[in-house]
Amino acid sequence: MVGGAVPAGAGIGLRFQHHQEVLATRPAIPWLEVHTENYLVGGASARTLELLRRDYPISLHGVGLGLGNAEGIDMAHLGRIRDVVRRIKPGLVSEHVSWSSVGGAYLADLFPLPMTEEALDIVCRHVALTQDFLERQILIENPSTYLRFEHSTIAEWDFIAAVATRTGCGILCDVNNIFVSASNHGWDASDYLANLPVAAVAEIHLAGHAVRELQQGAVLLIDDHGSRVAPDVWALYEEALNRFGEVPTLVEWDSNVPSLDVLIGEAQQASRYMENTRDAVPA
Amino acid sequence: MPSLRELQQSIGRSMVAGIEVGASSCIVGAGLAPQERLGIYRNTFISTVARALRLTFPAVHRLVGADFFDGAAQIFTLERPPKGADLNAYGEEFASFLERFEAAATLAYLPDVARLEWAVNRALHAQEAPSLDVTELADLGPADQARICFAAHPSISTIRSAFPVDAIWKAVLEQDDQAMGAVNLSSGPVHLLVERLGEHVDVSRLDVAAWNLSLTLFGGSPLGLALERHADADAPSLLAAHLSAGRFISYSRSDAKAVS
Repeated sequence: MVGGAVPAGAGIGLRFQHHQEVLATRPAIPWLEVHTENYLVGGASARTLELLRRDYPISLHGVGLGLGNAEGIDMAHLGRIRDVVRRIKPGLVSEHVSWSSVGGAYLADLFPLPMTEEALDIVCRHVALTQDFLERQILIENPSTYLRFEHSTIAEWDFIAAVATRTGCGILCDVNNIFVSASNHGWDASDYLANLPVAAVAEIHLAGHAVRELQQGAVLLIDDHGSRVAPDVWALYEEALNRFGEVPTLVEWDSNVPSLDVLIGEAQQASRYMENTRDAVPA
Repeated sequence: MPSLRELQQSIGRSMVAGIEVGASSCIVGAGLAPQERLGIYRNTFISTVARALRLTFPAVHRLVGADFFDGAAQIFTLERPPKGADLNAYGEEFASFLERFEAAATLAYLPDVARLEWAVNRALHAQEAPSLDVTELADLGPADQARICFAAHPSISTIRSAFPVDAIWKAVLEQDDQAMGAVNLSSGPVHLLVERLGEHVDVSRLDVAAWNLSLTLFGGSPLGLALERHADADAPSLLAAHLSAGRFISYSRSDAKAVS
């Protein structure tokens, strides 16, 4: 299979630690997702991906384009993304609803946007530009955030839905991010899911998060991708499947990366949720 | 209410300079102060960039230890933040930063180890480029040959150091205490060629005359001029070695009179 569409199964985020093992053993995983930024240049990683794309549908997941950068997106970076897209012919291409660069500095994190009409216009412009430039649809991922702005006027789910409606992009619904942000900001995670347009959701992300104790018994959830998916997030995933149907689902694990079989085990858990949803829904 | 650009500029300054510059007044503080919320992002920024630098400079990291490295990386990151999202391409100025970094002054060879690691990183990540087909040169007459300007393979770097940094680098990465103990810091300068050969990066020593001629050729000087300037080098065997190793990817012909 070359340049295959990403199927509605549970894939894993491929990290450097597992390159050799995946190359050597070709485990039965329906698809793989990689961070676009790690494959912009030549060398061993690029060659690994060239080999794996022959056997697995690939999703390119970007962390650095900065769709919400007020100063514009870096066209040289977008050009390099286009080169990777042309080489790899991924089934899916995604980026985040966030910003990351200002004053010529890349701040190496996914920064939250104020949910305003101005920010919405800017994100829509950049999504449209990116889709035109790449000559394909992209997906936008809802962020996990640790702060929000006083002058926000739009609910985050409405913001995401509006970008999809206005630009025709798809939505990468990160269920862990919804759980983390809802907990951090006092939102209702189920409401969030219920307000996303079903037809636009083309991928789901799952990951583990950390719990940081604050004063007076309060907690802040940190989206560190450093552990198993939490039970509450599995429950929210089930809700998401009931609403969106079976969509390609990915388990991300970026810090304290476990052995490949543990990661695949998490993906298999997601598969079981999908099967259960299928059984529960009358045809 | 600030514009999005003003808000991002304000947060950007607070990330790089670590100072409160007004963004806080726009941030909801419920349960956790705005400055602490911004601090979460700042920690991620600094630690993500430090991790990228650790991957690019593993020998420097081992030589100075994790705490010292992270401290140096933080100062460097805030002085010269990455310009783009490709962190593989970040760190070119780290060696010259270490040269100015007083806390590292006792390890005189450290900046050159960083230079070598940057060259290795460059070689690792260089795009594939087909080598020059030698037969293309066969039909050129002597006058045209003198005017040839080669383009070097993008994986290639040349490094000169007053210390045996290649031996230090190798001993540190292999954690070979015996080899490290055998390093003689006053054994004289080394002249290195760094390149990717197949899947691997190779670091080799050249004699000074061959290195000087290579530097001139890789820099795109006309062949005749380079040969005249470095008459002490064994040019025929060096050229043959460069061509057979595929170190040139193309050539052009200079219009300038090559040899006067």
